[in-house]
Formats: sequence, structure tokens, C-alpha cells
Amino acid sequence: MTAIELRGVRKEFGDVTAVRDLDLTVQEGEVYGFLGPNGAGKSTTIDMLLDLVRPTAGTVRVLGRDATGDGVAIRRRTGVLPDGFSVYNRLSGRKHVEFAIKSKEADDDPDALLERVGLLDDADRKAGGYSKGMRQRLALAMALAGTPDLLVLDEPSSGLDPAGAKEMREIVRSEADRGATVFFSSHILEQVDAVCDRVGILRGGELVAEDSVEGLREAVGGEETLEIAVGGPSGSDAANGADGATGTDGASDAAVEAVRAVDGVSRVDRDGDALVVSCADGAKTRVIAALEDAGVGVDDFHTREASLEDLFLAYTEGDAPESKKTVPGTADDDEEVDR
Amino acid sequence: MSLVAIAGKDFQDAVRSRGMIALVALFSLLVAVFAFVIRPTGQGEQFATELLLRFFVRPFLVTTLVPLVGVVIGYNAVSGERESGSLKLLLSLPHSRADVVFGKVVGRGAALSVAVFAGFLLPAAVLAALAQTGGIAAFNAGSFFGFTVFAAVLGIVFVAIAVGCSAAASTQRRALIGGVSIYVLFVLLWGAVTGQFLGAAGGIVDPLPVSTEQVRTFLRVSNPTTGVEILSNAFLAERLFAGESVNRQISAASMLVFWTVAPPLVGLWKFDTDDL
Repeated sequence: MTAIELRGVRKEFGDVTAVRDLDLTVQEGEVYGFLGPNGAGKSTTIDMLLDLVRPTAGTVRVLGRDATGDGVAIRRRTGVLPDGFSVYNRLSGRKHVEFAIKSKEADDDPDALLERVGLLDDADRKAGGYSKGMRQRLALAMALAGTPDLLVLDEPSSGLDPAGAKEMREIVRSEADRGATVFFSSHILEQVDAVCDRVGILRGGELVAEDSVEGLREAVGGEETLEIAVGGPSGSDAANGADGATGTDGASDAAVEAVRAVDGVSRVDRDGDALVVSCADGAKTRVIAALEDAGVGVDDFHTREASLEDLFLAYTEGDAPESKKTVPGTADDDEEVDR
Repeated sequence: MSLVAIAGKDFQDAVRSRGMIALVALFSLLVAVFAFVIRPTGQGEQFATELLLRFFVRPFLVTTLVPLVGVVIGYNAVSGERESGSLKLLLSLPHSRADVVFGKVVGRGAALSVAVFAGFLLPAAVLAALAQTGGIAAFNAGSFFGFTVFAAVLGIVFVAIAVGCSAAASTQRRALIGGVSIYVLFVLLWGAVTGQFLGAAGGIVDPLPVSTEQVRTFLRVSNPTTGVEILSNAFLAERLFAGESVNRQISAASMLVFWTVAPPLVGLWKFDTDDL
């Protein structure tokens, strides 16, 4: 059975299209990471799952029910950690959790939930005095009330320190082990890598990739990144008369050209005195040799695996920067769309 | 169930505010001052409970201050949560938007009632104690208590109107403008506005099988402050839903019910279709 099913979903706010023709399926028991830069339409999509926002077109089904018509029944079995929420300042943390339990007609022990998110010691304080991280923990405790079948977490790690983010991941994992479906959004891939079965990457309101983290890594290519510190002073003026004949003109155009010509190199960027080269596994030595042939001194070099960040950027920024202008939500109108 | 949970939470939230204590103190103080002003001077003079209520507490406190408090308590009920983001937390839980609007009316109406009862009955308890010990003669506790119920009813009506307005407003500022307008219309300008209306609508009313006088009476009792005035005066005269003004009283009571239910429904109708 499917926990979340979006078919041809489109959402327009005035003349801005936040989400376009989105098809998305999350199976029951799956941990699904929903990625994208700010303003890509993640929060709008989540708001549609929760019936806070109604789709302009298409259908949204959650736990087998229609999100627009059956929101209350859906939310009775769903735990939600919303983004950009605020607490009731005058009520204590425990009162918040008690309210969530009562609302879901559940019989959890509020203290057990507070303990689980590490908030028991502050349970009797007014939530208005909580830090951002504590509010985040409080909302998580409220989400966990009633042992939900589905957890929807919007940017769950925001406001948490690294230890808190780790605890959050552990809770997500244990909920998944219990059999719950987890759907969470993030703009940081590192956070989803450890816990997700599958990730979807949203960009400009469209799903541009959907796979396991491993699968995405392979799709981008099993490339290595080579960072080469080249000798000599920096400065683009040195590049003018160079022809690659001197060993002192830094990361010159000639050096870049020489490396680009090497078989197996897909991309060369200049970073001050260094060259950043994306290349196939076996091309490393050929790159170094080509530089030396061109008379460019190599001071130092090291390799790194394609990082998750590179991977993420490859999908979210892509090879066609001009698309930024035509796709709303990626550039200046972030605030409007990310609601 | 869901409505009760929201009402309970909202009530707890409201009674914890500092404004609540200030309100009780203000009500108590005003009632005490009025009681002192009309205190019996000569020996053997009766303490005029009806005089106190009808000519001091009602015009100065109930039909002017209580509606204002109702509007202040109600106007940010939904729009405030919407603007701060706590509405997201609320609607993440299995509540419908109707639960939210009517839960707010119940919770905040209850909070205002508590303020009214505490504020009115604290001085009343003092007066009753004085009557017991012979300090003053014959304080009519029954009248006073009954009157307090009418004061609370009027407060609840204004909370309901303000919550409806709050649900319809997409921002706090609009909700505030709506709340102020409600107060100005019902408390300050009703006579002038309905007078204008009657003047302008004379041509429409004439062919109808009702007299201008009947329309005028209807518009008068349509104002919840007038409605409560009619009902509380009848109560103090011990002619509640009896005597020659019974029809007018029934109209007034129906209008109070109308104002408690209709504005939240209209607000909900708008709120339910909004993207949050």
C-alpha cells in the first residue's frame, strides 16, 4: 500500500507556480527524504499533504485518503513536525504534549514522550522561554504522540545542534524500524543520507531526480574530484601571453586547456591558485602528466570522492543556469514560494 | 471532542495571561466604586441593588466595557495564531478548521465569563457579607447574580463576532480593524447608522406590510447591547419573558443567538477556503 501518492499536482499562488505536475509515491514503511533548495516547493508540497494548502490541480492522497476531503482522519494517524511554527508561549511543554495526546485521542504518557526527545527536565517551563532547538524537540514529541503510521517532518533538524540532529536521526530510524513511514524534507543532503531509503530532489517545483542516495551518486557518475595546487603567482594577466611556456603563471588558461584536453576529464574549474578537476577514476595520473607537459608546476594535489554536496548541487543547480530565470522559486522569489 | 480539546487549550492559555488578572481587578474596582457611590446614607435606607445595576453597572460597565473586552479577547483568536505560526502546530493535529473557529469561541467565551464572574462577584460577596452582618440592609444577591449572567452573555456574543472576524481576516491588522469597527458600530454608532439606513430605505420599506416603526424596533433589538439591556431590565423588573414586552424580549434573545452563531460561520466559510 502507498502512504503518500501525488498525481499531477500543481499549485499556483497568484501568478507564481510553486509546484508543477508533481508525481510522487511513497510506499508504506519507507523513509523518504525530500530535498531541494529553499523555495523549491518542498513546504508547499508538505502543506498540501496536511491540507493547509489546496492544490490548484491534481490529486493528493495520504494513507489511502483524499488529503483535501479527509484531512482530519489523515492527521489522526499522522505525526507532523511543521516548518516555521510557533508554540503557545504561556503553556508549558507538558501542556503542549498533553494537548497533542488529547487531540489524537491517544493514551501516551506525556512524560515518556518528553523524555524521548530530551525535554523532560524542562517540561514544566513555559514554552515561550524555550530555545529554537527545544521548540523543535517539543513539536517532535507532539508529532510522536499516538504512535502515528506516518511521520511528516519539515526541515526537522533546523535549529538543532549536531548532537540534537543526531538524536533526531535516531528517532527517525527507530520510528521507521517500528514500521512507520517517514517523509521528511531538508535542504541538506548529509542529513538524509544516513536514514533515507529513497530521496527525491525537487527543483523549481518539479521532481528532478528520485532514487536511493547510492543510485543518485552513480547517476551523476562515479567520478573523483582532484584538487591541484599549481605553482606560481595567481592573476589573470599572466594568462595573456602564456602559451603554457612558463612554470610561474598559476592556474592559467593554458593549464585549464591542457587538463580539459585529457581523456576522461569532465570538468575543470579554477579556484585561485588551484584547479578543481572532475575526472574518471583512472585519469588522475594523465592529468598530472599533462600539466607537467604544459610546463605548469604542480605543488600539491589530493583527491576526494564526489561529495553529497556536489551531488546535490549537480541536481539543484544543474548544467543549465539560464533555467533559473524561467523557473519560479529558484531565484529571487524564494520567500513567496516557500510557504 | 476535538472542539473541546481546542476550547480547553485556549481557555488555559487565556486565563494565564496577565490581562486576565487586570480585567478581574478592573471589573471589581468599578463595581466597588459604583456600590460606594450609591451607598445608603441615612439609617434604615435600603441598599438599592437594582439602582446600582440598572443605572451604573449596566451603562458604564456592561454595555460599553464588556463588548470592548470581548472584541479584544476575540479579534486575534485565529488571525494571531495564523500570523505567529502556532496555527500550523494546531492544524498538524487532527482538528478541522471548524473545530478551530468554534473551539476558539467556546474557549475565549469561557475565559471572558470567568473574568466577568470573578470581577462582578468579588465585590458582590463583600456586599452580601455586609448585608448579613447588618452593615447594609437587604442586598439583593439574586438580582446581582442574574445580572452578571447577562453581562457574561453579552461578552460571549462579542467574542463570537470578533472570532468570526478574526477567522475571515488573513492578517492581524485586518482583524484589528474589523474588531474596532464592530465595537464602533454596535456600541457607539448603531442608532446613527440605522437611522441613516431607515432614512435611505424609506422607499423600500413603504410597500412592505410592516410599518417603519416595526423596522425601527427590529433594528434596535438587533443590536446585542440593546438586546441585553432589554432582557436584563426585564429580569430586574421580574418580568423576564413575561409582561407586555415579551415579544420584544424573544426577538432580542433570538438576535443574541444569531450574533453568537452567524459571524463564526461566515468567518469559517472564508477561513475554510484559505491557503494557510
